[in-house]
Amino acid sequence: MKIEKILFICLVLVLIPLNIAFAHRVIIFAWVEDGMIYSESSFGSKRKAKDCTIMVENEKGFIIHKGQTDPEGNHSFKIPKNIDSDLILTLVAGTGHQAQWKISIDELVAKPSDKDIPTIMGKKENLEKSPSILKILTGIAIIFILAMAAKFLKRKKS
Amino acid sequence: MHISEGVLSGPVLATGAVIALAGTYIGLKKIDYDHIVHVAILASAFFVASLIHVNIGPASVHLILNGIVGLLLGFAAIPAILTALLLQAVFFQYGGLTTLGVNVVVMAVPAVLAHYLFLPLLGKSSTLTFTAGFLAGLFSILFSSILLGLALWFTNQNFFETSLVIITAYIPVMIIEGIVTGFCVAFLLKVYPEIIPVKKK
Repeated sequence: MKIEKILFICLVLVLIPLNIAFAHRVIIFAWVEDGMIYSESSFGSKRKAKDCTIMVENEKGFIIHKGQTDPEGNHSFKIPKNIDSDLILTLVAGTGHQAQWKISIDELVAKPSDKDIPTIMGKKENLEKSPSILKILTGIAIIFILAMAAKFLKRKKS
Repeated sequence: MHISEGVLSGPVLATGAVIALAGTYIGLKKIDYDHIVHVAILASAFFVASLIHVNIGPASVHLILNGIVGLLLGFAAIPAILTALLLQAVFFQYGGLTTLGVNVVVMAVPAVLAHYLFLPLLGKSSTLTFTAGFLAGLFSILFSSILLGLALWFTNQNFFETSLVIITAYIPVMIIEGIVTGFCVAFLLKVYPEIIPVKKK
């Protein structure tokens, strides 16, 4: 049991500094504005996903656009003609990172109002938030509570 | 490696959920009382691994650790990975709740296979132990990326090119994960052999 405690403490000690420094995920965020599709790709809020491949497919899986992100992680293109389905943007950010974003057909054909843009940006900021240390510790605590519950139930059974 | 919501078709999501549920049931049945804490520790490591990204050059890499989780836990890896993925989805919006079943299958099935393929090699010699760990880590990511590609391909055959690009992008992770798993297994075998199931036999 002693080594389990040591392993658990090691896990917590390792995750605290690393979380502050590095915890983030790959994100692609896209929206429609003035007949264009704009996308922003990043690893969290600070590190932009530059020179990454973006593939755009329709619901039938046909690739209708392929491009690269610029040094700021941005990529934009004109809405292709004759679109009749939702579009799926896949960001392939190398070394095992990929993320998707779906743009519905309604969004493609509707004209966005001025109110839509702040809402969209709010969504983006929410996505870019790094995982908080409190949430990570809560997650680990839940795993151990479940393990203790399983131990209790198994003991009761036997 | 998490598949986001809204990408996969209904039948693929349903199949993933059914396989994940069946696997979880078997996994829960197979967890023995004395190893519940090991399951919790490895589930926690898996839960945290995806959150820690290390910048290497222009790229950003994170571990997945399904290889070592599977190697050490066998079928018990399925409920461990399910719990970790569920918490990642709820707390950090990694993947999603509708894709949870598919994500569990993608990451846990290769883990369980790694257990049966590479566990017999552990403990025979230090070189063989490291090699088994390396292969378990590498194989798990390779097979997971193939399953991820298949999930996209079953959704639509035209996703083939995307699937291939995704599998290719995972090659560096396979090698890194293999090395990390190799070292971890060799270290655990020295300091805490009880965690390796083969040592109990």
